[in-house]
Amino acid sequence: MERKTITIFHGPQHPGITGNMSVELELTGETITKARTHVGYLHRGFEKLIERRTVIQAFTIVCRICVPEPDPNEANFALAVEQLAGIEVSEKATYIRVMVLEMARLAAQLLWMAGQSGSVGLGTVGQWSIYDRDLILDLFEALTGGRVYHMYIYPGGVRRELPEGFLERLGALLDYLQKRLVEYDRLFFDNASFQKRAIGVGVVKSEEALHLGYVGQVLRGCGLKRDVRRDNPYFNYAALEFDIPTQSGGDVFARALVRRAEMRESIKILRQVIAQMPTEGAIMQKLPKHRKFTLPKEDTYVAVESARGEFGYYMAGDGSEMIRRMQVKGPSLIHGFTLLESLLVGEELSNVALIMNSLGICPPEIER
Amino acid sequence: MQNLMQHFEIIQKTPTLYALHVSIETLFNTLHHLRYQSDFITLSQLTCTDWIEEERFELGYMLTNLERNCNLMVKCFIGRDDVTVASVVTLFPQAEVMERELHEMFGVGFEGNDTLYDFALEDWQDLPPMRREFDTLAYVQSHYDFRDGRDDNLDVKEQIKIRKAAAKSAKEAQGGA
Repeated sequence: MERKTITIFHGPQHPGITGNMSVELELTGETITKARTHVGYLHRGFEKLIERRTVIQAFTIVCRICVPEPDPNEANFALAVEQLAGIEVSEKATYIRVMVLEMARLAAQLLWMAGQSGSVGLGTVGQWSIYDRDLILDLFEALTGGRVYHMYIYPGGVRRELPEGFLERLGALLDYLQKRLVEYDRLFFDNASFQKRAIGVGVVKSEEALHLGYVGQVLRGCGLKRDVRRDNPYFNYAALEFDIPTQSGGDVFARALVRRAEMRESIKILRQVIAQMPTEGAIMQKLPKHRKFTLPKEDTYVAVESARGEFGYYMAGDGSEMIRRMQVKGPSLIHGFTLLESLLVGEELSNVALIMNSLGICPPEIER
Repeated sequence: MQNLMQHFEIIQKTPTLYALHVSIETLFNTLHHLRYQSDFITLSQLTCTDWIEEERFELGYMLTNLERNCNLMVKCFIGRDDVTVASVVTLFPQAEVMERELHEMFGVGFEGNDTLYDFALEDWQDLPPMRREFDTLAYVQSHYDFRDGRDDNLDVKEQIKIRKAAAKSAKEAQGGA
């Protein structure tokens, strides 16, 4: 009997992704023979808008580039502006920035856990992890006034002093999360249902991972120890002790185990930050008024390690108060096109959401 | 890197970021050399900046050397109109989607890349939107209708005036007392 090939759209709304993106799949039976990524459902034109705004006005936009993980955007924006304008940041502000980024990493991993578990039908995990993420968002609200978008890491430092008793609250939350991670092991990572679905699925080869520019857990899940915090340290990561967890499987399960270990490392970093946080010192440098804040005709590239891998910004000034060009480089462009389109071929239809989620694709950062 | 700096006019911008300007004629060969002879095995980003007043675009190929943990941005000026650059998909397969994006947003052609179809925009017939002469406001005004908003919408500027006047009179009353 002749086997028929059909074409279907997976998405743009489905459990495999945070945001909207679709994959056009050609199927023979349940097996994928061709995959083509489609974006454009979320194009908000941020990079275009930024070209018509002053540096300080542009700051309010950048955090919205990636909804589940806005803080690396703020960090990149601040790093790029500071590098171009020659602004120094105090030690206290850099400690606070590391604290914010690691809290954001934990929150993003908990959100990922909800999506990844949802893609294999383990709904309870998501209910737990979203609750725990909310506890981190409570702290963000106390610190910045915002739960999801913080607009806190600002060129020159950070916008507000730590509220009274904040570090104690953070310490108590870390104690709680440390215990919860053991529960998550039992509920999710050691769960036979998840392991059976994730082991041997979506395997990335280490040699192609390096050449094709994959980042984050995709690289570390193939045993490649790459992390911007260690390779090109920014803020004060060079002074902090933490490991770069790796796995050798290259599959969905290996990437999940890397994320599990990274949550422990984030807690380790946050405990050091609490212990070493300077009690004195300014949190913000004096900056020119926004109409007088000009960037020289220079360009730069900065990058931080987001919860999903290297996240970079190219920024060019032109001597005016506007930014001539700001181009975002997130993990999702290459993971969502180059990697996903090849990885899905030969896989079963039921594994699409599972694989997409493990790659950490965030459509808003593809179509900025 | 020192060895490379003897062959090319490389500028060090930060401890881990270098830049190199090349002509459009030597762009592909330079990238080929860096890819196969100098261990810049990864293309991380492909950028385009519109210098409309100079009537040119500036392309930037961000290459990464993983052994030395450094980035090298190979930059090249190209004209703004009907310009085609050699595709680097054969050197860096991930460039396929990057070139597709720049083709759609700036109108830059990449010879050798046969997948320059729609990226984020569907059936776009207008000027490539990231070019400086593309007027976002004019496009919105000609394509969309504005809604008046809710019936109880407040004029923000008017509200600020009222608030400031109230604060001023409260201060005067306090001073008088």
